[in-house]
Amino acid sequence: MLGQLFPVDDFKLIALILGMPLLGAAVNGIWGQRLGKEAVRLMALTALAVSFLGALVSFFMLVHAVDLTGHEEVVEGVKSVVHEHTKLSWTAWDWMHTSGGDGATSVSIPVKFSIDALSGVMMLVVTGVGFLIHLYSSAYMADDKAYWRFFAYLNLFIFSMLVLILGDNLPLLFVGWEGVGLCSYLLIGFWYDKMPNAAAGKKAFLANRVGDFGLICGMFLLAHYCGALDWTGLSNGAEGLLKTGDLNQIHLWPIGGGEFRDFHVGPLPIPMHIFQPSTAFTITGATAVGLALLLGCTGKSAQLPLYIWLPDAMAGPTPVSALIHAATMVTAGIYLICRLSFIFVLSPFVMTTIACVGAATAIFAATIALVQNDIKKVLAYSTVSQLGYMVLGVGVGAFSAGFFHVLTHAFFKACLFLGAGSVIHAMHARVHDDVASQDMRNMGGLRKYMPLTYWTFFVSTLAIAGCPPLSGFFSKDEILYRAYVNQVVNPMGEPLVARLHMWTPPTALGPILYTVGLITAVLTAFYMFRLTFVTFWGDFRGWTIGRPSLLAQAELTGHGHDDEHGHSEHESDSHDTKSAHAGHDDHGGHGHDDDGELIEVHDDHGHHEDLTTPGYPPHESPWPMTVPLIILGTFAALAGFLNAGILHFAPIDHWLEPVFAGSAEHAVHLRANAERLEWPLAACGVLAFLIGSGIAYWVYVLQAGKPAKAMADGAPGLHDLLQDKWRVDELYEATIYAGTDALADTAVWLDRSVIDTLLATVTSTVVKVSGVVLRLLQTGVVHIYAGAMVVGLAGLAIFFVVPHPELAAKDTGGGNYVVEAAPGMGYSYLWDADGNGTWDAQAMSAVDHQPLHLNAGETKTVRLMVKNAFGFTKTVALPVTRPESTKSLEIGQNP
Amino acid sequence: MIPLEAYITLSAFLFVIGGFGFLIRRNVIVTLLSIEVMLNAVNLAFVAFNRAHAADANAVGAHTGQVFAFFGIAAAAAETAVGLAIVLSMFRLKRSVRTDEADLLKN
Repeated sequence: MLGQLFPVDDFKLIALILGMPLLGAAVNGIWGQRLGKEAVRLMALTALAVSFLGALVSFFMLVHAVDLTGHEEVVEGVKSVVHEHTKLSWTAWDWMHTSGGDGATSVSIPVKFSIDALSGVMMLVVTGVGFLIHLYSSAYMADDKAYWRFFAYLNLFIFSMLVLILGDNLPLLFVGWEGVGLCSYLLIGFWYDKMPNAAAGKKAFLANRVGDFGLICGMFLLAHYCGALDWTGLSNGAEGLLKTGDLNQIHLWPIGGGEFRDFHVGPLPIPMHIFQPSTAFTITGATAVGLALLLGCTGKSAQLPLYIWLPDAMAGPTPVSALIHAATMVTAGIYLICRLSFIFVLSPFVMTTIACVGAATAIFAATIALVQNDIKKVLAYSTVSQLGYMVLGVGVGAFSAGFFHVLTHAFFKACLFLGAGSVIHAMHARVHDDVASQDMRNMGGLRKYMPLTYWTFFVSTLAIAGCPPLSGFFSKDEILYRAYVNQVVNPMGEPLVARLHMWTPPTALGPILYTVGLITAVLTAFYMFRLTFVTFWGDFRGWTIGRPSLLAQAELTGHGHDDEHGHSEHESDSHDTKSAHAGHDDHGGHGHDDDGELIEVHDDHGHHEDLTTPGYPPHESPWPMTVPLIILGTFAALAGFLNAGILHFAPIDHWLEPVFAGSAEHAVHLRANAERLEWPLAACGVLAFLIGSGIAYWVYVLQAGKPAKAMADGAPGLHDLLQDKWRVDELYEATIYAGTDALADTAVWLDRSVIDTLLATVTSTVVKVSGVVLRLLQTGVVHIYAGAMVVGLAGLAIFFVVPHPELAAKDTGGGNYVVEAAPGMGYSYLWDADGNGTWDAQAMSAVDHQPLHLNAGETKTVRLMVKNAFGFTKTVALPVTRPESTKSLEIGQNP
Repeated sequence: MIPLEAYITLSAFLFVIGGFGFLIRRNVIVTLLSIEVMLNAVNLAFVAFNRAHAADANAVGAHTGQVFAFFGIAAAAAETAVGLAIVLSMFRLKRSVRTDEADLLKN
């Protein structure tokens, strides 16, 4: 029944999935302030819930539609059911048609959305995880005065993300791509009155612009090479990217495919030929497109060298970090690579670059995460590192493995971020400073006070660290295994490779990538367990915890602190004589931090709350926050069985097969003995988890952080370098920012010296002088003006009374010309077209053009007499010459 | 029947009288009167040409010239209203209606 209501090629249910979040954003954005918190919450949650249900229904209809296409195929004696690539699509309206003229391809771009195997899974994750995070935010942001604005942005983000995922062509994807970038910017700078937050938002926006530049360039190149921008058209026209003609390849050196020739400056010879290479350095369209799109992915998915914005993006509210900067938006780059996998595999060079970028990012970010103390910063660098894994996965041609890590990462990282948010929420009861409330060194022992948060956080930590059989183990193991055994080759076969001199990656690359990934896995396990142990184990270091009975007594007498909901109101004074610093000394024995000192805890209102005063213990979060944690934690634990490659049970792999058919299977060769390596490599992965978590347990639980402190003291340079994030921001400041500044200074200097001084002075002088002269004409006497008018009118009258004959000869080719007379009111003409000196006709006529034939080198003089309505006549003559050589004439016509 | 030439000659005379009046008289009221004379000269020419050249009185566009004359009258009325208002405010400002004393637009 549903199938009749929503046919496959006009699947209007997409309108509901997309429309509800947009409606929520509009309602909350326009009327939210007047609606009140309850109504805003209802609108936002309803929008997401309906959207999720719609997505769920669509997904099951897609499953049904895919099942219908199933047919058995026998490959090498093994029977298997093969499905077609099926999609549910809906065309909203025609957006634009572009045609380049002069035989260029015309591209039509409709606003068309489609759900296929890849986008269907992604859509479920976005709406499902999105709903849970909306629910969480409704409690987390409960005390924020801009509640409505937050939910308007969040709904708008979901809408943009769905456009990105469901868009059926690249321009539509780009609309969503920019939309999520905008929402990310708005939400990072949500508390825009704080300077660092606003700056972080700007940084994210600008870093993403660099990436978007690459994406746009890639889009233009694809339109040029493939003649289409929708997914089907692109995959049909993909061979266009490998054309070898001079016009189809991109000449890097010499630029544009020219030739360097020697020339002379006076007597001095300039030997330019030394720049001419023996063979021109060219790349195929596929490589150019792949690199351009990769730049887009490095921006959005926070890869080297554009990852710098993501750690700073943690300035936004924690649910935003969970939804946008961990689970959904940052995976858009991986989604794009998966979506256009058939284009990326055409260039092994691009694939290798992707894999190397991913591996480098993974290990680079993991090293930084080792020493960070801000709970969200650790998770942020962990996200960058995990994104590196995903990029590594798709880079070695294991698209479904990379995409599966997107899925599991969405669950466990969202859970981790929400858990961190829960902890920060608890800390905010008495610690109001943004930095201090997120510093792990002020936490500890929260296991006792926040059991639900602790257990979900712990499960997710196990998952991300790769503990079997949780989800992270399966997805990471599959990526590492593929990195080892996959060899990317050109899918077009040997003959083409020979013709193009196509680059093939070295065989040693697989083991290198695998080793890097394995080291990263050890680091991941270490820093994640460090985070868990320091935050949840040991003793609480945030403030002094009093006995509840005594606190209740103190409250009765009016001296206690209201710490249940201390975000907005709390007592600032204290009659306690102990200073805050002395209080920390009391707890010094328990504070196992890396630097051996506790940072000063103060609130952001400028007055200190004495944290040594006994207070209530940190509290567990309310149910809207813990329920999402439990659901996400469950998925983080169990989702791995959706694609347990090592157990040869891989529904997701099979589900995505039609999407990657034709790209993965032809482009990837398995290393010899790949089957036999499966279990040994998995064992290495488990070993990495055991080593990493074991070291963390030894350092932070058994030795209470002393070895870490010793290490930091032993190698202060390295420790500071890691703490300062390898000083990449400083490097960019010194190079790119400084370069931009220098360019701006030069421009300012040019503006002041040349434009303001020279041009402006000259222009103003000319205007001033002419003003002085012209002012003399403005006497203010009406009669002089009237006289001038009469003179002008008289001039016009004379012009109309006298005829104005004009002749022009037009070459129509082959020695034939047409001589035309300019038209005029009431004109009649008399011609002498053959140039024999006598008029061709007896009387004037209205014929205003005459044909004329000339032999080569011949000249004829055409005469014309014009008579106007007043009876005045005038004669004009025009000599017409045909050039001697007809060849030069043709060249002149078609330059 | 009076020939067309007579009308056109009269129209030309009126126009020249108006033009000279506009150029040489210094009184704003008379200047406005001169403009009226010129406009009416044009109207006369319109009507005369229409009468002389519209052979079939039922044809589409047969009365275009007369319609134009009405437009001319309407334009003249509007122009006079604005012109007199300017003259009034000029008199209040300068205590004079002589054009050679009206040089406020200078510089």
